[in-house]
Formats: sequence, structure tokens, C-alpha cells
Amino acid sequence: MVGSPLSRIDGILKVTGKADYSLDHPIDNVAYAVLVKSTIAAGKIREVNSAQAEKTPGVLAVISHQNSPKLNEKGGIRGGALLQSPEIKFFGQTIGMVVAETFEQAIYAASLVEFQYQEASPQVNFESLASKAMPSKDREDEKRGDARAALNQASLKIEEVYSTPIEHHHPMEPHAAIAEWEGDRLTLYSSAQIVNGAQNSAAKTLNIKPENVRIVTPYIGGGFGSKGGQWANLVLTAVAAKVAMRPVKLALTRHQMVNSVGLRQRNQQKISLAATADGKLMALAHETTTHSAIDEEFVEPCGDCSKLMYDTPNSLISYRVVPMNVILPTYTRGPGKSTGSFALESGMDELAHKLNIDPIEFRLRNEPARDPSNGKPWSTRATAQCLKEGAKAFGWEKRKAQPRQNEQGDYWVGHGVACGTYPAHQRPSSANVLLKREGSVVQATVELAAADLGTGTYTILAQTAADALGIPVDKIVVKIGDSDLPPAAGSVGSVGAMSYANVVNDVCQKATEELIAKSGKQFFARPTAAQLMVSEKIENFQSSVQSEAPASAEEYSSHSFNANFAEVWVHKFTGMVRVNRFLAVTGAGRILNPKTARSQIIGGNVWGIGMALTEESAMDPRWGNFVSRSLADYHIPANLDIGEMEVIFIREDDTASNKLGVKGIGEVGIVGVAAAVANAVFNATGKRVRELPITPDKLI
Amino acid sequence: MADIIFTIYYSEPGQDIDLSVTENMKPFKYTRATDAASATRIAAENPNAKFLAGGTNLIDLMKEDVERPDELIDLTNLTLSQIKALPSGGLSLGALGRNTDAANHPLVRQNYPLLTQAILAGASGQIRNMATNGGNMLQRTRCPYFYEVSMPCNKREPGRYEGASGCGAREGVNRNHAIFGWSEKCVAVYPSDMAIALSALDAIIKVSTPDGRERDISFADFHRLPGDTPEKETNLETGELIVAIELPKSNFAKHSYYLKVRDRASYAFALVSVGAALELEGSRIKQVRIAMGGVAHKPWRARKAEDYLIGKETSAENFQLAAAAEMAEARPLEHNRFKVELGKRSIVHALEMAVRGGKS
Ligand SMILES: Cc1cc2nc3c(=O)[nH]c(=O)nc-3n(C[C@H](O)[C@H](O)[C@H](O)COP(=O)(O)OP(=O)(O)OC[C@H]3O[C@@H](n4cnc5c(N)ncnc54)[C@H](O)[C@@H]3O)c2cc1C
Repeated sequence: MVGSPLSRIDGILKVTGKADYSLDHPIDNVAYAVLVKSTIAAGKIREVNSAQAEKTPGVLAVISHQNSPKLNEKGGIRGGALLQSPEIKFFGQTIGMVVAETFEQAIYAASLVEFQYQEASPQVNFESLASKAMPSKDREDEKRGDARAALNQASLKIEEVYSTPIEHHHPMEPHAAIAEWEGDRLTLYSSAQIVNGAQNSAAKTLNIKPENVRIVTPYIGGGFGSKGGQWANLVLTAVAAKVAMRPVKLALTRHQMVNSVGLRQRNQQKISLAATADGKLMALAHETTTHSAIDEEFVEPCGDCSKLMYDTPNSLISYRVVPMNVILPTYTRGPGKSTGSFALESGMDELAHKLNIDPIEFRLRNEPARDPSNGKPWSTRATAQCLKEGAKAFGWEKRKAQPRQNEQGDYWVGHGVACGTYPAHQRPSSANVLLKREGSVVQATVELAAADLGTGTYTILAQTAADALGIPVDKIVVKIGDSDLPPAAGSVGSVGAMSYANVVNDVCQKATEELIAKSGKQFFARPTAAQLMVSEKIENFQSSVQSEAPASAEEYSSHSFNANFAEVWVHKFTGMVRVNRFLAVTGAGRILNPKTARSQIIGGNVWGIGMALTEESAMDPRWGNFVSRSLADYHIPANLDIGEMEVIFIREDDTASNKLGVKGIGEVGIVGVAAAVANAVFNATGKRVRELPITPDKLI
Repeated sequence: MADIIFTIYYSEPGQDIDLSVTENMKPFKYTRATDAASATRIAAENPNAKFLAGGTNLIDLMKEDVERPDELIDLTNLTLSQIKALPSGGLSLGALGRNTDAANHPLVRQNYPLLTQAILAGASGQIRNMATNGGNMLQRTRCPYFYEVSMPCNKREPGRYEGASGCGAREGVNRNHAIFGWSEKCVAVYPSDMAIALSALDAIIKVSTPDGRERDISFADFHRLPGDTPEKETNLETGELIVAIELPKSNFAKHSYYLKVRDRASYAFALVSVGAALELEGSRIKQVRIAMGGVAHKPWRARKAEDYLIGKETSAENFQLAAAAEMAEARPLEHNRFKVELGKRSIVHALEMAVRGGKS
């Protein structure tokens, strides 16, 4: 089964509406909570007037910092806003909550709560603040050789600044939860990429024991990092339920998503590259200036790709940060790598053009034999193969080397390439397998607190277990998304598939070994667990295991790699860009299911194209509010923006990283995409756009 | 600041439901009008009432707490959805006809392809299936400061703010805003695509008044510039109902084009759009109409460009000079300077496409 393009086993449940997402769980007697948000970005709440809201029919409670239960603000909930103090740190911060019998009553009463502020002047204009950025506290400068000196001496070089705007995750399912208390025990039906992480941070923040918190999150409508760490809404749902003494539902609206659950921060990345005339890189500096929240630092690692993509004797990676009155930035698909690769891979394209070397050839000439950042050998590195096979499949040889040479009617046509990478690490996880026989039919249930973001986790785990046990895939039940199950890694940082598949395989192998031992027999050929259950007439059997990466993993540098190829058509008069063809070639270890894997890569590609062409959360530079709050103004690409999309996987056998040789594909799909599009736009028009998104105004 | 959601309770035709007793939400009354006369009468009696057609704009704005009518007069039972050929050779589009039906009617496709293109360039298939021709004319600006109730906006809350401070966009994020005809009180643009084509086609808005009369408003006089009263977007009087939109007979079908420049290929409002229509004698321009969207508080007729082109040859140079003449009057804001160049290019390209009969 592993390696076959099985359709998602939860697909039918989803398209028939039977998959229960956070708010769908049938809980009786629920009340509804609605959040109240600040309308200033900095200052203090002077007064709260909730008299009118409290008088409104159906209202059960109005909660603000004045009457909120005491919570632990250091409990691991991201972004604060836990109603613990009158301080306002960003626009749209949660400052109150209304609980009522019905949703309509709650939302109406929420509009009646009055807040008086003492306003401070908000720090929200990144353009004017950027010059005040200071070295990052979390990310030290990383130097090899002396990049400055090498750049000063070099004559063939580029030095350019690339900027990317604030972006939002905007998953289809906005964050939502139902909280239900039974005595001291709390159940949270919610949406969590890290099941045990949500359990721990909720417990710690609420000052209760983790074993008293159960997270139930069987289906997740996307997260992209915003449901990795948990935000105030989760814990406030529990607070509301405690205060109202009833189960409570709390859902964020789409508008509230822009200032409730993190964002991808704005980055200004200076790339400096120097090379010899024959295309050998001599220096690479990647200096990022960004912002964080006013009272907490989060910096996405824009320099990560630059650390290891190319062989250069001199390199410098640095981060400068300025605090701003915005919600805490957070992990966003391909954190640092997607934005960082835009800068690095645009720079590589610029220098290749300057050197008059084909951009694929230029990259091949700088392929590092080992990971330059730590000297370790690669477990596998598919970059060269991705570039070569991609070039063939894409028809790269037909590309015009010089820009603005390919004219088709009212369009300039251009082709661009860019590479990407994302690390691969198996994380500790545990799992149970429960075998059950009826007659000659054996069925198995695998259990672990994994999370499926909608990407196919259920399916690949059923496939893995089916192969490992010798049981047909439709006789495998996968139970995940529940903190009562054996603890497992999160679906974050592309670690899900490799951590989960390995532990499921391990537990199934262990069960088989135990069954063999139990039989007391010797076998010529190793029987499957299914065969043993039948031949030994065992009705029920159970096994558990805990797995982690093999010791060998530490000795290698393990990453997925890709090469992206874009063909764009740029309208000569209006500057509108269409991505007519897009090809992603990826080496990501063993592909457990080519169908769900392809969908993952396409999803990443589309977001990358959005990053290149359309996505931006614009903020008012005076007041700090987002002016694009809905999906009508936060533009993600529409079908008409993109033509053909093709996905190729390079066969890889990478058992150094983990036993099954699986690497993540959740994030690598977005890495390098924006640069491929921007490079194609340059090839089409001769215009180099260094500020995303590439909207028509930047091309006329 | 909170989103307001409410429930509509359905009634039988003719039966009213008074929701003002329900205290758990913003109360409003829901009334089903049976004919134009009853609709205008009810509307004239209650200045806080609003007509409800497809609801794709009004209901959104009520959810955002921007529109707060205390009565909705549902028009869907009115028999005003026909598309009829007029004896004069023109065409009448009923106010309650759906945008999709107007765009695809054979007589529209044949005689007014500019209108078909403009309608289909707007919104999405689903929204066009709901949206009505009358409602489309009165859709309100997409300015984010108008939509966000915690931001200042003279259009949303006239009289509340002093001077220029009442327009959040004037000194704010104004990339999508006006370059023509704006005032210190309002720099918003009017969002309809359909209306740009109607403006170029010199359509007539047919109106039913509360005292039972019908009156015609020429398209140019229908929408207004913001001036000191940005809340007043059209010259409709209280209680007046659009019953139809009339398209006069014209000879533009062979040479017209709707160009919409936007941030993505579908489902985005125009940065700049141009509806261009030409009547040619050989390569000489006998008649020309150019209307622009995304540049002003109303469909912007490029009269300077039109005047320049009358009687001239259809040459690239003439188109450029005409476009330059029009755009010379533009007054861009901080973030929308690009619209001046984009407007120029769009006029030229739309005219060229019109000459080519829409084929690129
Ligand atoms: C996400 C999104 C994207 C969109 N994109 C575009 C776009 O790209 N281009 C574009 O042009 N449009 C776009 N639209 C807007 C859409 O075209 C309008 O919402 C629609 O045309 C309004 O028609 P309606 O019948 O639903 O009006 P309603 O919402 O019912 O009414 C709108 C207004 O008109 C009044 N009204 C309705 N009928 C009459 C009448 N007969 N007489 C007097 N007053 C009347 C109502 O009282 C109300 O004030 C978009 C809308 C959405 C939601």
C-alpha cells in the first residue's frame, strides 16, 4: 500500500459533512462566547462599562481584565491577550468577552460593551522604524570566513534589498473551540496542530494539571502554523465555560483572524553575493531586518536557506529586529525559508544574469558536497537532480537567456527557476496498535495523538499499518487527534509524516515480533501479524512503542530539496501576470502516497504564487489596523491566475534520516516558489521586482 | 467593535414580521413588497428603510454594522426582472433581473457586448447569480475605512467628524482610491463594473417615485461625486425605486471593449477599468465613448479623451494623446500615483482592443 495513490480515507466523511471539526461536536446545552477587540494599537484601558451588555437578555457573563479569573501568562499561550491587564499592545487585541445563551445575543451584547482608553502613540510604521532595528535576542549572527571583506574586494557582485509584506495564514477553518468542564476535568474540542502542546499550554495557563485537560481535534481545517502554538481564544473558551458553568463555543470571525492568531512578519532582506567570473560564489551575506511584537521577540529564520544552499568560503547571516505594536508573528508555512528563499534565489538569478551564466548552471557550479553550515554529509541532496530533470521536463532550453525577448501578442513571456529546501527531522512519538480477530478477518486500530491538518495523515498511517501488519487498508482504523492517545509529535515543521509513519511502522513490527514469540514457533518466512492472529487463534492483541530518530540521523544533514520552474505571461500594457505553467521537482525521501503528496506540493506552490503575486496584509501606518481583513481583499490566487501545474518527485532512498526514509513535504512546496515567479517576471519583462507582491502597478 | 450577525425570519408574501420585540439583536422589520407602488410608499414613510434585492451587498454591510436599516423591504416578489426590446431599438433591463441573465441575454450579447464583458468581469459566478441590475447600481464603496466601524468615515457617519479628519483613507492606505473628483471628505471609489459599461452606453435609469410617477435619470446624472455629502451617492430621492435600466440603440457593438486591470485575474475589484466603445467610418472615429472605473466616486466619463478623438483617425498616437489629455487632470493620492500611468495605458489599450473588435 505504501507508495500507492490511495484517495484520502477520510474524504467521504468530509465531503458528506460527517467529519466533526471543532465546533461540530454535538455537545448539549452550550452557551456562546464572543470576543471584544481593541480599537487602538497602544495604551491602557481606563474604564470598562459593561452595564448595558449585562442587562441584555440571554447574557451570562461579561469578562474583562477587571473580573477575569487569574491565568498564568507564562503558560505557553502565544501572543498574550488573556484579559489579565489593562495594557493594550496591538490593534484588535482581545480585551473582553461576552458569554450568552445564543450566538446572536452574545454578538449583540459584545457590541454594547464600552471601553475607555488612555491612548499611547503606537509603533506601527515599519518604514520609519526599520532603521532602529537592533540585533535579535534569539538569533545570533552566524559567520564563516569574512563575507564583508570578500564583498569589498569583489568586482562581480550584487547587493540588493528584497522585501516581503505581512501575510496571514487564513486557513479555511478559523480558530474555534468548545470547552466543557466536568469537575476539574476540562475537554477542549478545538483545532490543534500539536495535540500535546495544546494540552500542556492550556493546562499551564489555566493553572491545572495537564492530565486534567483533554484536547479533541480529529479534523483540522488547515493551520499553516497558526494552529501550532495555541492562542488566547483556546484558553478563553475554557474561562468562559468555567464562568458560565456550561459548555461554551467560541469561534473567531474571519476579520478577527488578522489579529488573534499570529502572522508572517514583514521582512527586509539584504542579499550580497560575490562570485568569480566563471561563477564560483565567493561571498554570501543575508541580512534580515524585521519587526516583532512590542513585548516579545519572534523572528522567522530568513537566513536558513542561505546557510546551506551554496558552497561559499565566506558567509554572514544576521537578524535585526524592531518591536512594533502588532500581534506576535509566528510560524507560517515554510517559516523563514519561503521568504528567505525569495531573497536568496532572486539574488542568485540577478548575479547569474550579471555573470551571463545560465541560472541553472550557476547553481550547479556552487553545489556544496557537504552542508556548509556544519560540515556534515548530506543524508541525500536532490538539488542537482531536481534542476536537471526539471529543466528537461520543463523545456528550459527554449528559454530566452536575455529578458524581454519572448513576445506573444499582447504579452511578454518569461521563464524562471529557483531552488528551495526544508529540514527533515523525525521527532519522538509513541503509538498503540490493537489487533482484533473475528473468524479469519483481522482488523487493527492504530492510536496516537497525531494531527491531520487535512493533508492525508489518516491515509498514510493506514497505508503504513496495512503493509506492516499484512491487513487490507480498509480493515485499519486510525485514531488520532486526541490527547488521551499516546503522545506524539505535532504536525508542524514538516515532521508529521516521518515521525508518525515511523512510530506506526515500529509498533506494528513490534506487535508482529511479539506474536511470533508468543506462538513459540520457528518460521522460514516471517509471517504477518494478520497471519499469526489467525493461525494462533488469538482474538485480541495489543502493543505499544515509543520511537525516535535513529542515532545515525545526527551524523547527517537531512533536508528535502526542490527546484521550481515558472512560466509567466505578463500583459504588456496592464502589467497583470499570469503563471501559465508551474513545475515543482522535489526530492523528499520516500513518498508514502503520491496523490496526497502531490496535493501538498501543489498547495505549497499556490501559496508561493500568492506570495509572489497577490498576498499582502496592508496595515494603516498611523493606527496599526489591518485594512485587508477579509478574503475579498486578502487576495489568494484564483483559478484563472494559474494554468498547468506539474509535480515530479525524485526517487530517494534516505534511511540515514529515519528508518522508513520519509521526509517532510508540508513546507518545502512553498520554498523557492516566489523567487521562481519573480525570476520569470524578470525574464519576461526585464523588470526586477524586489518588493512582493508583484502587483500590476509594479510592472508598468 | 464586533460583527453583528442576525437571523431573518421568513414570512408569507404580504405578511410582515415585526422583529423589534426581539431584544437580543439589532431589531429590524422585514416587509415583502407586492408591487412598485407599495415598495415606494413604505420606503417614503420610513427613511431608515432599505430595499432588499439580491442582498449580496446590503446584507454584508449589515453584518459589518455599517448599514443599520430598521426595515428591509424585500423586492423579490416584484415583477421587474424582464429584459425587453424597446420599440426605439433599445433594450430595457428590469431592475430585479439577475446580473448573470443580463450578461447572457442574446440581445445583450449581440447589441451590447461591452455590457456582457463588464458584468462578467465582476465578482464571481455565484454572486452574479444573486446580484440584481438595480442593486448593482447602488452597491457601495469597498473602501476599508468605510467597512471598519472603528475607523473614521464621513460616508458611514456623516457629520460626526470635523474637516478632513473624517476620512480615514485621505492620509491612510489609499492605493485603491480615487484620482478624479475626490474631496477632502471622501476619496473612495465606486466599485461596479456593470455601471462602467452602462455609463459608456449612456443608459437611462428608470425610477418609480413614491407619488406614483415614473421619472428618467440619465446615467451621467445618476451617481454623484462626494463633495461635502459623500453619504449621498446617487440622485435618487427618498423612497424612489429603480424599476429598469434602458439602453438606447447604438452602433458600438462591433467596436467595444471592457478592460479591467486588477490584482488577480478574477474575483477582485478593478484598480482601473475602461469601457471603450467606437463607431467607425473606415478608420475615422464617428462616435466614441470612454468610461473609467476605479478612479472616482462615480463612473468617470473620459470626456476630454472623447472630445479629442471625435473625427480623428484610429491611430496609436491619437489614442495616446487622448489618454494623456484625460489623465492630465488626475489628482493622485499618496499610494495611487500608479493609476495615472495605468489609466493612460488602459484607455489606449481598451481603444485598440475596441478597434480590433475585442480580439488580441
Ligand atoms: C466578494 C465580492 C466581490 C465582488 N466583486 C465585484 C466586482 O468585481 N465588480 C462588481 O461590479 N461588483 C462586485 N461585487 C458586488 C456585487 O456586484 C454587488 O454586491 C451586487 O451587484 C449588488 O446587487 P444586489 O441585488 O445583491 O444588491 P443588494 O445588496 O440587495 O442591494 C444593494 C443596494 O441597492 C439598493 N437597491 C437594490 N435594488 C434596488 C432598486 N431596485 N431600487 C433602488 N434601490 C435598490 C439596496 O437598498 C441596497 O442599498 C462583489 C461582491 C462581493 C460580495
